[in-house]
Amino acid sequence: MRKGLRIYLPFAANELKRQLAYKGAFYLFILVHLFGSFISYYLWIAIYGSSEKEVIGGLTQSEMVVYVFMVYVTASIVTASISTIVSDDVVKGTVAMNLIKPIDYRLSLIAMASGNMVYRFLVPSVLIWIGLEIYKIKVLGLAPVSIAGIFLYLVSCVMSFLIYVLFDFCFGMLAFFTTYIFGMRMAKEALLGFLTGQLIPISFFPAAMQRVFDFLPFSSIVYTPVMIYLGKYTGETLVFMMLRQAAWVVFLYVAGSLIWRQVTKRLVVLGG
Amino acid sequence: MNTVKRYLRLYRVLVAQFLKTIMQSRVDFLIGLLGFFFTQVMGIAFLYLVFQQIPDLQGWTLDQLIFIYGFAQIPRGIDHLFTDNIWLVAYRLVINGDFDRYMLRPMNIFFQVIAEKLQPDALGELLIGTILVVRSLTKGIVIVDGLHVALFFVSIFAGALIYTSIKLFFASLAFWLKVSGPFLQIAYDMANFAKYPTEIYSKGVRFLITWVIPFAFVAYLPASFFMKADTSAGVVVIECGIAFVFWWIAYALFHRGTQVYESAGN
Repeated sequence: MRKGLRIYLPFAANELKRQLAYKGAFYLFILVHLFGSFISYYLWIAIYGSSEKEVIGGLTQSEMVVYVFMVYVTASIVTASISTIVSDDVVKGTVAMNLIKPIDYRLSLIAMASGNMVYRFLVPSVLIWIGLEIYKIKVLGLAPVSIAGIFLYLVSCVMSFLIYVLFDFCFGMLAFFTTYIFGMRMAKEALLGFLTGQLIPISFFPAAMQRVFDFLPFSSIVYTPVMIYLGKYTGETLVFMMLRQAAWVVFLYVAGSLIWRQVTKRLVVLGG
Repeated sequence: MNTVKRYLRLYRVLVAQFLKTIMQSRVDFLIGLLGFFFTQVMGIAFLYLVFQQIPDLQGWTLDQLIFIYGFAQIPRGIDHLFTDNIWLVAYRLVINGDFDRYMLRPMNIFFQVIAEKLQPDALGELLIGTILVVRSLTKGIVIVDGLHVALFFVSIFAGALIYTSIKLFFASLAFWLKVSGPFLQIAYDMANFAKYPTEIYSKGVRFLITWVIPFAFVAYLPASFFMKADTSAGVVVIECGIAFVFWWIAYALFHRGTQVYESAGN
């Protein structure tokens, strides 16, 4: 009996260690991303402490705290990256395979990304969201968000998700026209994090820049849903912001289709 | 002395190899550098925008914060350039059994691990760190006398050693845990806290990054010494002390780990 245990126990132990390692790694990575939010949190407390004004960039300190963590929740839902898959397919040449199959390549990518998004939302973003909401009400003393507010926020998030994946699809296809996709992806990620309001609310940007932003899709990706959640957009502005998001979805969809047609034409010509 | 000469010669060969690989695809290298550069610039842009709204941050001006930020990049970049392969130990080499080939050669194992790879991305960190430090010099906010300049270089290398030691410590845990990458990632990312004055954090966080994973001694604390005339050079002395202690612990753990690896019949 003891000999049997000695032989077979290591199998069990190893599998347990392996599972813990995977799950552990997953949660540790989430913790790592939360680090950034915590640094932001402390920075903003210090910033508001150093200012005589109670409202900076249109937000009070409490609202800013909510902003920092809602940006985390929103970004984790919305930023499902597919450009890596697309550029990999291009580099490996497997894109050609996708032309033969009777499935819309882009649609399959979006479907994949949505599955990913739902998973990331449930684990653990929704928990962080609930935790944040409780903190917001109990500690910060702000009003709880209404059902309508939650609904509008989620709708806005879905549109933001579509804007992001459609944009990322276009970006991924750049791999067709350049070999320097890796460096460009790093640049894209750095810029995007900044331009979508994840590092700092768009309201902090100089007025002239904000006007330019009105014509770019970036503010609609993270900033808009979070502002909706904070209740900063009401009435006409709310309708306008959401319509603008919808417009970007349509625009990026069409743009993606056009680029895809160019790309496939090229592929066919090259005999790929 | 002969061993030192041998290792230096080997390293020179590897550096030549590294330069050759960069030259082969210059544009690729430059674009990667640009991408990395952008990541760093965003942090500065954040500070800049914030300071449009406030006069100072708990007594620190924008220029001072930019110096701390830039100063933080240099030791990080030096470590990143030379010891990037340590990440592989944490993620792959131990669990895949690839460590064997290091054990077979009659060369110091740690040297082998880091000599295999020089990381060009680090030049981005070094570049921006240098630019920001030079900028701070022109703004006159840094004390420039013999002592401070000498201690500046001392601090930079001590700081790099602290980075390497922390990386090596957590990577060595892989000898027992098989994969210690996520832990290493957490420890490494704590360095981001030290790009800002540690007074802004809660006591617990401050203690953690000052004495447990002492990145505060790499960036913020020495940086404030270089800017404020009334602080003591003891900060750099402590930094060196910490560097040596942590290196000693990390290397001992690494060494023990290789012995464990060997005895497991690999």
